Amino acid sequence: MPDQNGPFFEDVDLGDEIGPIELVATDDNVVNFCELWGNPMPNRFTSQEIAEKSGLFGPIVPGVMSMAIMSQALTDWAGPESLKDLDLVFRQPVPHNKPLLVSATITDTREEDGKNLIECDVLMMGEAGERYVGGTAIIALPSNRGQ
Amino acid sequence: MYIDLHSHSVSSDDSRATVEQYVKWVQVLRDKRGCTIDGFVLTEHRKFDFDKDYSQLAAEYNVLIMKASELDTRCGHVLVYGVNEGLAKDIDLGDVKMDARELIKAARHHGAIAVPAHPGRFGIGLVDYMDQGETFADLNIVERLNGGSRAGENERADTLCRDHSYLGTGGSDAHLASHLGTCMTSFPTDIKNERQLVDALLAGDFTPVWLKDIQQNN
Repeated sequence: MPDQNGPFFEDVDLGDEIGPIELVATDDNVVNFCELWGNPMPNRFTSQEIAEKSGLFGPIVPGVMSMAIMSQALTDWAGPESLKDLDLVFRQPVPHNKPLLVSATITDTREEDGKNLIECDVLMMGEAGERYVGGTAIIALPSNRGQ
Repeated sequence: MYIDLHSHSVSSDDSRATVEQYVKWVQVLRDKRGCTIDGFVLTEHRKFDFDKDYSQLAAEYNVLIMKASELDTRCGHVLVYGVNEGLAKDIDLGDVKMDARELIKAARHHGAIAVPAHPGRFGIGLVDYMDQGETFADLNIVERLNGGSRAGENERADTLCRDHSYLGTGGSDAHLASHLGTCMTSFPTDIKNERQLVDALLAGDFTPVWLKDIQQNN
């Protein structure tokens, strides 16, 4: 059996909360992400001028980076390869250099095809309660039965 | 009764919550968090789900599930309770540029009631339109507490209610299951269906509440 530092399926219950984890996507973080991603710069994610031409208040965090941040929050809690599905709605542009609060709430648990699955609501919010990105995730957890 | 007057299921394009997930979440609120929540209203965006029947699910989980709409107008979003075939024939529910005043009038004409949603929302709420000179003579009720509001927005709705003597409702504006019930409306009367909900709103005897305040009082 692999090392298990995260929770077991039997440890979690409906209504349990994960986080909130607070982090900031800095200008440098976004530039590094765009380099890795291969998105040519400058772009609306890195340039004030281009962002404003696109009708934005300023450069924003790429949606795929927000997904990565939220995915990491979940896999940091549950372990690598635990995340089976992530379905997000991008409700507002995510700003650089401001606190982002990532949290999840367990809304369902079930056993399906031999897997122990939990379903969570997952949310990225701003300090003033802005709901930037929200959606649902399905995570598979190991069982401790028989131990 | 505590009823969440504003929620969205996956029938709305921007929601990820199924009605089944909502009723399960109601059980979490009741059993694990000691909250009272009697029901919720599905206020789907720009539509009314005439074909959907949640009565079996409602009975199974002992939760009141009602249906309504959240419509787009030129002066912000408006919740409409008591939507019926007559109203849907007179008003194009999908028209994002409809006149809010016409909607308020048409709703009353057909026995429904229109309540502007999150009026304090910056940029798109009724407060901003009224600041620009728009007036709404037939308006009596607005959504005073919205669970999706940013800091300051519910306060703007409070001020609007005070300045114009509007009554105020509460709703979570949930798009995810775990947000259901964060704000609700407290009614002293028993409500069993949409018709009775409209009557209760017209009677004017209700109060918006935060779930956390009810928890503290239980």
